[in-house]
Amino acid sequence: MSGKLSGKNAIVTGAASGIGKATAMRLAADGANTFCVDRDGAGLAKVVDILGAGHVGFAADLSNASSCKEVIGAALKHWDNRIHILVNAAAILIREPTLSHSKQAWDLTFDVNLKAPFLLSRDVVASMIEAEIRGAIVNVASVEAVLPGRGHVAYTASKGAITMLTRSAAFETAPYGIRVNAVSPGVIATAMNADLRKDPESWSEMLAGTPMGRHGQPEEIAAVIAFLASDDPSFVTGAIVTADGGWTLH
Amino acid sequence: MAILTGAGRGIGKGIATTLAERGYDLVITSRTREDLEGTRRLVEEAGGSATVVVADLKDPSTPSLLLNTALDRYGRLDGLVNNAAVNFFAPFWTQLEINLDETIATNLTAPFFLCQAAANYWVDNGLAGAIVNISSAEDTIAYPEQVPYACSKGGLLSMTKVLALEWGPLGIRVNAVSPGSVDTEMTPDVYRQEAPKLMPIGRLGRPEDIGACVFFLLSDDAAFVTGTALYADGGYMLQ
Repeated sequence: MSGKLSGKNAIVTGAASGIGKATAMRLAADGANTFCVDRDGAGLAKVVDILGAGHVGFAADLSNASSCKEVIGAALKHWDNRIHILVNAAAILIREPTLSHSKQAWDLTFDVNLKAPFLLSRDVVASMIEAEIRGAIVNVASVEAVLPGRGHVAYTASKGAITMLTRSAAFETAPYGIRVNAVSPGVIATAMNADLRKDPESWSEMLAGTPMGRHGQPEEIAAVIAFLASDDPSFVTGAIVTADGGWTLH
Repeated sequence: MAILTGAGRGIGKGIATTLAERGYDLVITSRTREDLEGTRRLVEEAGGSATVVVADLKDPSTPSLLLNTALDRYGRLDGLVNNAAVNFFAPFWTQLEINLDETIATNLTAPFFLCQAAANYWVDNGLAGAIVNISSAEDTIAYPEQVPYACSKGGLLSMTKVLALEWGPLGIRVNAVSPGSVDTEMTPDVYRQEAPKLMPIGRLGRPEDIGACVFFLLSDDAAFVTGTALYADGGYMLQ
């Protein structure tokens, strides 16, 4: 397949649904070989089935640090130590009131939303340096890192943390030609907010804060990720690209 | 009256002294009694009172221990200052998993559950309160070989914002002070030598500089200030 990611090997986490799934489809459409990771094995199988030959599914629970290790080990083995792209899209959001937010919810959120991207990026960077690959890592942050949402304090803090994971990792890897960037989505229709969308009143109230007057689609975030993962933004690193329909302008 | 973590050394010691000079009584905590006793003496010389609590912030029972000590000893709590932090230096691709775990536990998880304990006390008793989280210029700009620390400070800044948003209606203000390079017993000599060149203000920060910012944000002078980070960096980030 030809395309601007032709010949690139890309790991995408959270690939069974939402932004991760749209990203896997988009990177594949742009010519990349994908290694799709998700804890939802059945959902993952469907995505890989659509993607077809040359694409791999790997079911793993990224809240477990040893699973992160297995993911990278398997991808390196599959591609003979050559990983060009890592997209950290897997994330969870646990809604618990802040005054009673539990340690369990806090820890699980950080395991999935920060620790997994940290461990995966760390090991992918090491492999890129070893193989002299000028690769790209794209993290999925959230506008909530700067304009917080109510009722999910751990999620908000984890997204602030991944913003600085992006910038500090970018700073250190830049001399090796490795770029680390993030996309910061606003309100995107995914499973994370499926319950909210069932209540049209509160959903339209939420969208009232978006100058574009609508929510975004996962494909619109995938498009930004595909750009950041490609060689086009060759001078861009440590950037947090906001894709929010204008949500944070006011 | 305020609770101050990481009070035994460095910036924490400066915050303790500044707050004591300006009328605060303190519950001070860290892992090292000897350090805390030194801070207690400084606080008393400044005319204040400090109660020493040796505790590990990673222990989930520490927030209630600190809160109960404040209430038992002083009968009130007006402010909370989350200052304690750890930093593990290594190239990103050699950072250990435990480095991230320890850093997030101390620099981010512990402040959250201390904020939660203080806020629950204030809400349950219909009281107002103020929280200051000591972040870092590194909540925004990158320095080499400190990825876990940068993650923790980015998270602390976002946490400060969401708490401010949610607790504004409850009369609880939550802000951050983000210091740049501050001259402490942990500062390498080379920083002091380079400071005139590196810092627009021409010197490193002093722990008392940070203390003054904390005092302001805790005080009613900052009554309309919440969810913000006050960068006290001698202009470093302007470059």
